[in-house]
Amino acid sequence: MTRSRTVVLGSALIVGAGALVALGAIYLDPARAAVGPLPPQALSLPAGTRFVMGLDVKRFVASPFYTRYSSAAGASARPQAFAELEEKTGLNPERDIDQVYVAGGQVPSGPRGADGLVVVTGRFDRYKVARAIETERKGVTSKTVQGITVYLFNEDRSGRGTGAVAFLDDSTIVLGAQSAVEQTVAARARGDVPLRSNTMLLGLIEGVKPGSTFWMVGDQTLLANLPKTIPAPGGPGSSQSLELPALKSLVVTGDLDPQVSLDLTGDTADEAAAKNLADVVRGLVALASLQANQKPELKQLASAVSVSTEATRVHVAARFPYELLDSIQPRSAPASASQPSSTP
Amino acid sequence: MSASAAARPPAPESAGGRDTSRPVPFPRAARAVFDLALEGMVWSRRSLLMAILLGLPIAFGLLFRGIIVSRLPPRMTAFDLYGFVIAIYYIRNALPLAALFYATALIADEADGRTITYLLTRPVRRGAILFGKFAAYLVTTACLTLPAVVVSFFLLTTTRGWTGVGARVPDLFRDLGVVVLTLLAYGAFFTLMGVLLRRPVIPGLLFLFVWELVANLPGYMPRLTITAYVRSLIRHRPPDEGLAEIFGQVLPAALCLEALGAMIVVFLGAAAWIFASREYVLEQ
Repeated sequence: MTRSRTVVLGSALIVGAGALVALGAIYLDPARAAVGPLPPQALSLPAGTRFVMGLDVKRFVASPFYTRYSSAAGASARPQAFAELEEKTGLNPERDIDQVYVAGGQVPSGPRGADGLVVVTGRFDRYKVARAIETERKGVTSKTVQGITVYLFNEDRSGRGTGAVAFLDDSTIVLGAQSAVEQTVAARARGDVPLRSNTMLLGLIEGVKPGSTFWMVGDQTLLANLPKTIPAPGGPGSSQSLELPALKSLVVTGDLDPQVSLDLTGDTADEAAAKNLADVVRGLVALASLQANQKPELKQLASAVSVSTEATRVHVAARFPYELLDSIQPRSAPASASQPSSTP
Repeated sequence: MSASAAARPPAPESAGGRDTSRPVPFPRAARAVFDLALEGMVWSRRSLLMAILLGLPIAFGLLFRGIIVSRLPPRMTAFDLYGFVIAIYYIRNALPLAALFYATALIADEADGRTITYLLTRPVRRGAILFGKFAAYLVTTACLTLPAVVVSFFLLTTTRGWTGVGARVPDLFRDLGVVVLTLLAYGAFFTLMGVLLRRPVIPGLLFLFVWELVANLPGYMPRLTITAYVRSLIRHRPPDEGLAEIFGQVLPAALCLEALGAMIVVFLGAAAWIFASREYVLEQ
């Protein structure tokens, strides 16, 4: 074998080994789930779900964001609340909860018409949690759906409650609107996965960056309720407003370690709308830059945001170091001032 | 056998049994030129320099893991840093430069070294010479770049452990593909410059560092550059400044692939045509 062939072979071996390790990382990554970041039990959510949000509690609690701002917000209140919760239910949210998913349909149509659902995964003492639900609040009743106990809050004479909670399994609690909880419980008991039929939403969820600390996807039904215009930056009294192009879908992902990172991808109706929306965002960022004379920290804030378009999509990427967030916080917070700086 | 064929004088044959009245078949000739060019390219001073240039991110990754990450507050995630290395270092600077220095020299080196006569007097088609040399360029640069990208990826993205690395892997494969496409597109363009111009390096540098800035302008102007297409194919979007921040646009992936494919075919076709029809007169 010639020397050049040896180099080519060595190079191919490195790339091949790298590819194998990379594929192994995909397969063994703990962030893998049923669909994107969703666990299999969340696929029992109703097919009519229009948006889903997720929070990785473990990552959130371990992030500098939590350690900095939770203690800054109230050093005594938080542990006390958690201590009470732990005493009643045996549940320490920081330790026992893994993931929280919030899902919902379109718009609540009344006090009992809300169809939001919260799915919490983690490690629960079922007996303690059930007992706490039954004894802590008045007006809690229960019914059985497909062999699973569903607790109803403030059930009226027609058998409808303002809310419901149930265990999908030992590690999953679902709570929210009664009808949605019952649908989810029934689907789980039957082994159905109604959310699989919502291909639009699943497509968006598959696009979520696995391993994100928090994320959100929503389709056009939900986004149709967003404001169509925002006030133009003319100050109070200005009659002008900026028209926002309609979004067909929105995907938001974020991380909190080592800095606050936010990625938003909005899908618009056409390329022109995408450029229009990107221009609006860029304009707002540019306005922030113009304020840099009065507030120098805003200059950094503006440079932390980048906007780009790709056909009908608009990408907004924001990276906020904690030093920057600290600098734009009100100076009066003594707790944050006493935090040790991470800069050497 | 027909009578006319029987009457034809027997074709001159070499010891290998090849018809020496005809040029060596294209694949065989291109393969022979490829082998020869690869041996010369891989073990050369130019390759040593390029290996250092293209392998610099590995050294940076080691430095980042060993010193920077533990001493400085990270302003960006390790994956952002990897994205910066790919988007800014490789795609915008190092790969076009590598293509410039290798591809413009494919034929120019032979002319400067006065060895082109030996090459052109062989019974091989000129297209096969160009194709074989271009393939050698592609393999050489890919061999220098792809391992560096893979190693940089793992060095930078595993700084804080392996959690979440799996989610980044699709970007790695995408980056590897775009790196090869970048080498192909710029290589084809600079091969054309190499056969077209006598001194192609200065115009090539002007193209890279002056004309390619058009990619930061608004409207359709970026479509007249190569970099706008390759930049759009990767998913890394490091924050830009100035015009790029204001007007930066990402072209549709399908358009980028079509445009780059067309560029590669047109540039290589034009280079082959010019090389095949050009007469090389060596200076005495």
